[in-house]
Amino acid sequence: MINPRHLPLVFKQVVRHRTRTLLTVGGVAAAMFLFCAVQAMQHAVARATDGRADETTLVVYRENRFCPFTSRLPEHYERRIVAIPHVRSVVPLKIVVNNCRAGLDVITFRGVPEESVESLGLRILEGSLEAWRARGDAALVGRSLAARRGLSVGQSFDAAGVTVTVAGIVDSDAPQDQSVAYVHLPFLQRAARGGGQGIVTQFNVKVDEARHLEAVARAIDAEFRDDQEPTYTSPETAFIARAAHDVVEIVGFTRWLGWACLAAVLGLVANAIVLSVQDRVKEHAILQTLGFRSGLIAALIVLESILLSLLGGAAGAGAAAGVLAWGHFALTVEGVNIAVAADPLAAATGVGLAALLGVAAGLFPAWRASRRPIAQCFRAV
Amino acid sequence: MTTAPFIQCRSLTRAYRKGATVITPLRELDLDVPAGDFVALMGPSGSGKTTLLNLIAGIDRPTAGSLIIGGVDLGRLSAARLADWRAASVGYVFQLYNLVPVLTAYENVELPLLLRRMPSRERHRRVALALELTGIADRHDHYPRQLSGGQEQRVAIARAIVADPPLLVADEPTGDLDGESAAAIMSLLVRLNRELGKTLIMVTHDPRSAAHARRTLHLEKGRLVADDRPNAEAAA
Ligand SMILES: Nc1ncnc2c1ncn2[C@@H]1O[C@H](COP(=O)(O)OP(=O)(O)O)[C@@H](O)[C@H]1O
Ligand SMILES: [Mg+2]
Repeated sequence: MINPRHLPLVFKQVVRHRTRTLLTVGGVAAAMFLFCAVQAMQHAVARATDGRADETTLVVYRENRFCPFTSRLPEHYERRIVAIPHVRSVVPLKIVVNNCRAGLDVITFRGVPEESVESLGLRILEGSLEAWRARGDAALVGRSLAARRGLSVGQSFDAAGVTVTVAGIVDSDAPQDQSVAYVHLPFLQRAARGGGQGIVTQFNVKVDEARHLEAVARAIDAEFRDDQEPTYTSPETAFIARAAHDVVEIVGFTRWLGWACLAAVLGLVANAIVLSVQDRVKEHAILQTLGFRSGLIAALIVLESILLSLLGGAAGAGAAAGVLAWGHFALTVEGVNIAVAADPLAAATGVGLAALLGVAAGLFPAWRASRRPIAQCFRAV
Repeated sequence: MTTAPFIQCRSLTRAYRKGATVITPLRELDLDVPAGDFVALMGPSGSGKTTLLNLIAGIDRPTAGSLIIGGVDLGRLSAARLADWRAASVGYVFQLYNLVPVLTAYENVELPLLLRRMPSRERHRRVALALELTGIADRHDHYPRQLSGGQEQRVAIARAIVADPPLLVADEPTGDLDGESAAAIMSLLVRLNRELGKTLIMVTHDPRSAAHARRTLHLEKGRLVADDRPNAEAAA
């Protein structure tokens, strides 16, 4: 019943009621921006903390400690962990952050032994590994962190009382690596407050097969149960979920914020359409007098609602994607990073939801407008 | 055998329920109008003129009685079919023009043609022709607020005739215009009747306007009280 030749009518309504359109689209865009940002955070947390069946990384931490400042394990545990069956590699890590609380722009130093750096699977984007090896204060900086802080090779920066020189910008498949700076372990042990020779924060353990993950974790904790510093070992995702527990909770709560944004979009568009339909009672009666069927009027109203909603949705989702892409944000807490990246799927979902909300917002006013007796409309005004 | 009249009302009644009371603005009206006629409808305010016009234009439905136009019994059509009938058969000219404010003159006139499958070139040709015919072609890209009353009414008339319906209804088409514009609009309507053969039903308070008609009906309290045909011989 609706035909492409009717569509210009809808566009003209949207374009020529400029103030209404700008206000509505602006409001929808703001709400959809928030929705998409919330979605991106949800996805980031899910990606970082949902256990995967193919996971092979364990994190060994000091039992009953939850912060990089208080988890202190002897570096020499490494030899005993390596000896446990199914362990492929062990990397002792000292972690220092400039801010122990949750933040979006925290700098995380990870001190690693020189010989372990190969096993991290880092790809060097700029600079070189040799340059890192050559300098005691050298740092390999994750891509997101470098972009966020505008760091380039050769530059020095300091955080948490540690001054380092950028020897390379690195990328890797591990989300954590995007937002950290890898430095020499002895350097960090010396440089950091409360440092200490021979002390590390955690061990990252690679297991040969995912199905051995749990057994190896138990074996490690059993190994150190009676030592002075007992351990608590868990899969990396579970470790992040534990360390970032508060943030995960808050982000989980923002889900409601996301739903509220959608409700706001619905309200905004419905309000705009209800008002404009009320304003145009006579106009719709004119169209019907000219022979437009009431169903066609209803379809035009719903299309207008969809168009307003889509314009706002696209603007908001686009803005969110842009901000997240340029900002390279990472939620950091207790030394673990959850990278919040622009998510094309989330943006597409946002735009799709906006269209659906447009339909929902338009249906009732459209139905009402199509039911009004025509002759009455001319008398009412 | 006489041919059936173009418009045929039999006991045509329109009643409204207002709370407990029933208002009957049109009561058992019988009326025949031959094709090509020009009928003026007169009567005091509230006598049912607009009510009758709305029924004839198919934007309102009879409560009782029958209304047959061009062989179609309007009372039996579904809402959608009635809309299609309006699109093909009737053009409505309002006192207050009723143009769509966000559309230009051209776009307003184009509206009825959007309901038809036709090449856009043909649509353009017809809109241009209607604007030409009503003498408002030079204002085609103006919005209604940029036009005078007389100009707006020309656009409204162009819109009413663009789909070439056989029937035109007009509700006090000059009621809001100054004398000069009113006279111009009247002569335009007369031309549409005489030269294009449109059947024209026009409500008016103005005897000078009514004088152009071939026939003047007087309504009072929903009933036909007089039917003057001073120019009846002209209709043939
Ligand atoms: N929808 C309606 N509901 C109630 N009363 C109506 C309605 N439409 C018209 N009327 C009444 O019918 C009478 C005739 O109205 P109308 O046909 O507009 O008169 P006219 O056009 O001759 O001035 C008036 O008294 C008016 O109040
Ligand atoms: Mg009237």
